[in-house]
Amino acid sequence: MIQIFHVAKKFGTKAALEDINLKFQKGEFVFITGPSGAGKTTLLRLIFGAERPTEGQILINGINLNRINRSRLDPLRRKIGFIFQDFKLLPRKTVSQNVALALEVAGERPSIIRKKTRQVLRAVGLAKKEQAYPLQLSGGEQQRVAIARAIINDPLILLADEPTGNLDPDITREILLLFRTINLKGTTVVIATHSKELLKNTDQRIILLKGGKIVS
Amino acid sequence: MNIRIWIYYFKHAVSNILSNQWIHLISIGTISISLLLFGAFTLFFVNVNTWMVEWGQSLSMSVYLDDGIQRDVKDEIESIIKGLPGAEITGYISKEKAEADLIAALGAQAGLLDGITSNPLPASFEITFKDRKEHQVDAKRIKVFLDQLEGVDEVQYSEQWLERFEDLIYLLKLGGLIVGGLFSVAVLFIITNTIKLTIYSRRDEIEIFKLVGATDWFVKMPFLIEGAIQGILSGFIALLILFLAYSLFSLKTVHIFGLPVMDIVFLPYGYILLIFIFSLLLGLTGSFIAVGRFFRLLG
Repeated sequence: MIQIFHVAKKFGTKAALEDINLKFQKGEFVFITGPSGAGKTTLLRLIFGAERPTEGQILINGINLNRINRSRLDPLRRKIGFIFQDFKLLPRKTVSQNVALALEVAGERPSIIRKKTRQVLRAVGLAKKEQAYPLQLSGGEQQRVAIARAIINDPLILLADEPTGNLDPDITREILLLFRTINLKGTTVVIATHSKELLKNTDQRIILLKGGKIVS
Repeated sequence: MNIRIWIYYFKHAVSNILSNQWIHLISIGTISISLLLFGAFTLFFVNVNTWMVEWGQSLSMSVYLDDGIQRDVKDEIESIIKGLPGAEITGYISKEKAEADLIAALGAQAGLLDGITSNPLPASFEITFKDRKEHQVDAKRIKVFLDQLEGVDEVQYSEQWLERFEDLIYLLKLGGLIVGGLFSVAVLFIITNTIKLTIYSRRDEIEIFKLVGATDWFVKMPFLIEGAIQGILSGFIALLILFLAYSLFSLKTVHIFGLPVMDIVFLPYGYILLIFIFSLLLGLTGSFIAVGRFFRLLG
């Protein structure tokens, strides 16, 4: 599903990642962890195609991100859900409109958009908040809106950058449960986190990054 | 063509205009004024052209007579004029009639003539030539011929004035083109900057659109439509104001020296359509430049 070969990324002269080699299978659930500045976010952004590697190759479902042009990257992004640490919700749009955005850009029919939006909001426990605005929601609820938007397209891959960064332990467990449910449907889930709560008692694959290199 | 997507683009463009009302109002106001000036220039040229064509079709000539001309000499001149091909004497203006016309034309300023003891105005025959092409009327040759007749002081014809006027019109047209070009650049500049402002105010939104997989055109299209709406609305407002001004102005007959002069016509449909297309193109081009610059910055 995701293949990373000898990938390095530099910002100016500073190396953010060095010689990264990884493979994620379809339906795998993986944590990427490490201290701040280890390169977790950079690795996710490379997989998402938001950055290009300085060296090496990244293949998503057999498509080499180095050789893809912008017009082919957009449809590929619709198959990858990305959950941002700061949620990236539109404050002037309702919960329902924020979630529907991912289907609107794909040119989906309005009836299907309405149906799928309701379904996914029910799945993340926000059915009653669909007309609320992001700023009227708690941090945990905003995170769930971001998750709903990321999974509404039934993505092949779900990338989450510190998805529980600002949340308390109870909500963190709820969010983790949500990811597991999504993963059970066959979506490859990659979570970048330094949250001990998320990693506690997990039997999933954990990749530890330090100073831009894979430690274990 | 996916109609759903176009409805979506239009909805977004309209909601963008409504959520940035003031920027758009100022922009549409400024563009309307520029287009109004452009339209006024066009209206002026259209009318001047119409008048010139009308004047060019019939030649009129004034034959001024010497002071104290004998009656038989005057009759002789009259019969010669009548013998000219296509010529028709539309009137004989005596010295007294010429003076009375001048006093009437000056109206309240007639007092200017108080110091003049004798009437300096000459008597004249007013002639028009009909079917000029058929009679092969050569105004210059007729002028030379009449000029040398006994009792004729001077001959003037409308074409002389028309020829001089054509040069002036050419200069005005050139000036109009330059001014029009400058207005177009100014309008482009205004539209580009308005759209740029609205794009920057929605920068986060565009970033999120791109992150959820929107194509560049999906993001660009509402902004292009926004520019087009601005252009068309401005064109409509400019033409409406121009028409209202024209309606007010054309209620009064234009008088020059007390004589009712030519009718003023409004822009023909073709010109109205051209101004609309021009406004639309300006709007589209302005937003296209703004969107292009933004996406280049976005990488």
